[in-house]
Amino acid sequence: MEQTKIEAGFQSDAKKEPRRIVFITRNTSAKVQDDRGPKLMTYPNLLVREAIVFEVLVVIMVLIALFWDAPLEQLANPLLTPNPAKAPWYFLGLQELLHFFPPFVAGILIPTLVLLALVVIPYFKVNVEGKPLWEEHPKKRAGIVVAVILTLLVLLAVFDAWTIIVPTAAVSVLLLSSYQSKASRGWLAVLRRKPLSWWIMTWFIATAICLTVVGTFFRGPGWSWIWPWGTHAG
Amino acid sequence: MPTPFNAALEDLRTTRVWKSIFRRGPANSNRTRSIAVFGNLFLHWLPVKVREKSLRVRAAYYLGSLSFLLFIMLVVTGVLLMFYYHPAVPNAYRDMKDLQFVVSNGVFLRNMHRLGAHLMVLLVFWHMFHVFYRGGYKPPHEFNWVIGVLLLLVTLFLSYTGYLLPWDQLAFWAVTVGTNIISAMPVIGRKVRFVALGGNIVGENALLRFYVLHVVILPLLAFLFIGVHFWRVQKDGGLTVRPTRDEDGTNKD
Amino acid sequence: MQNPAQKSPRGKPVISRREFLNETTLGALGIAGLGGTALLYQYFSPNVLFEPPMTFRAGNPDLYPVDSVTFLQDQLVYIVRTSSGFYAVSAVCTHLGCITQWKPDANMIACPCHGSKFHRDGVKIEGPAPRPLPHFAISLTSDGELLVNKLETIKPDKVLNV
Repeated sequence: MEQTKIEAGFQSDAKKEPRRIVFITRNTSAKVQDDRGPKLMTYPNLLVREAIVFEVLVVIMVLIALFWDAPLEQLANPLLTPNPAKAPWYFLGLQELLHFFPPFVAGILIPTLVLLALVVIPYFKVNVEGKPLWEEHPKKRAGIVVAVILTLLVLLAVFDAWTIIVPTAAVSVLLLSSYQSKASRGWLAVLRRKPLSWWIMTWFIATAICLTVVGTFFRGPGWSWIWPWGTHAG
Repeated sequence: MPTPFNAALEDLRTTRVWKSIFRRGPANSNRTRSIAVFGNLFLHWLPVKVREKSLRVRAAYYLGSLSFLLFIMLVVTGVLLMFYYHPAVPNAYRDMKDLQFVVSNGVFLRNMHRLGAHLMVLLVFWHMFHVFYRGGYKPPHEFNWVIGVLLLLVTLFLSYTGYLLPWDQLAFWAVTVGTNIISAMPVIGRKVRFVALGGNIVGENALLRFYVLHVVILPLLAFLFIGVHFWRVQKDGGLTVRPTRDEDGTNKD
Repeated sequence: MQNPAQKSPRGKPVISRREFLNETTLGALGIAGLGGTALLYQYFSPNVLFEPPMTFRAGNPDLYPVDSVTFLQDQLVYIVRTSSGFYAVSAVCTHLGCITQWKPDANMIACPCHGSKFHRDGVKIEGPAPRPLPHFAISLTSDGELLVNKLETIKPDKVLNV
């Protein structure tokens, strides 16, 4: 009996009738991966382009470096804490978080959870086909989404963390409008087709940007709220 | 009509010395072009052929390439800066002033290094978010995504350890706050902080430890992970390119 | 091949030589790894610190008027004298380690970094600090000087009677 070797993933019942030509396992894409377009030789096509990118980068950096100096403040003084004492910009979002939550939560717990979430993304229920969130059971999912968002907002309100409440509310409004919308064209229609992973990441980025911007421009001495353009408000 | 320069180059290429270094001969056939990549120590992590679509700027905006190129720039400028920097408490700040006002091109080098550091953090974040939105983490690229997250951590730590080195007020207090966060870890927090700082306070031990981390350990880790990252890109099937869509939303390819 | 069902004539489970050697080697490597980590941790924990000493003399008690708060800058400690005696409060904010400042007009200790405020006995008035400012062990030396030990924290209700 002829044995056809078929790359079939977990199980192959190619010997049984009816014969399957292709076995699509869950969580894999149904697209044929083979032909994704014409290929060119790396040398010189890619290498020359990379060289150009490098040169453009160097030119831009040199221009900036010639005109803007890196900061250098006074000698470190362990007895004098500057007011405010700010971390580099990529940690300012974290510092803003520290204003609302205890150090363990904001400094250890949340960053660890974020990292874990990032690492787990490709392994946990990967939505390979990119199915929109509202494709299956829209009403039930909308209910769960509303419940989760409300719980989150209440929790944040308890800690008075309005820097997170604002972007969360904004993204939630977009999410729920996309659910309600019957449009077939336009940006709401585009949003309606987005999968859950897209929404979670967009919420995360919006919150991170909001936290960092507030931490950079809107926090002054004692981490009090200031308006970056005028006098202190309090 | 070959110019004198071209003719001279051709002659050079026929010499024994040249042929002993570049054994493949001039890269004018697809075979020799393949060998130029496949047989080269520094380039063999690249595939011999690339998909035409992935070469376009809009494919991935060259974000990954830019991150790597920035890393190279930071290593070069960093090593140059090392020649004038003592990682000790009274000298460190003096050396910064030295670089700023006395050393020829010192201020330029320092600016390039600091600018590169900020740009690199920005680009690495941007690269990660872009890969996410393109779905470049889906099977079979999962492990490469994890390596990427590790690289993000290494980048952030590199930036943070470097931040202390000027030993100015900005540096000192940023690190004080950061290391106090470490002590908030349950059970082991204070011990980890003690080992990280080499003491109870941010002092000369902390400066030296952060220096060694910044200059040796973290760059080595970065090189290692970058190597794996690039290798996996090739082995997992190349860049994930956004498929072009027809008007009704179906994929063209 | 290890067969868990295999038993010797006396009913004890039998393990193959290969399995035994594999497991013993892995175990040995594991112990070596643990030992190596412990050694590394020891190596990285310095035994001699070139820092200001954690135990220091704060001078004669008469230097401090009653009902005063004195900030010792080199040691980052407040020496507080009440009518009943002395206590030493840490000047390092329990939130993230910034140096607090004593505000006599407002009768409180304030941290510039995130706005934490404390009473002179270290109890928090407001702000993100998670704990009150710790009290350090304070005693009298044999020649009558105040001695503060920053390595030892004591309960806030203990006061050194002089």
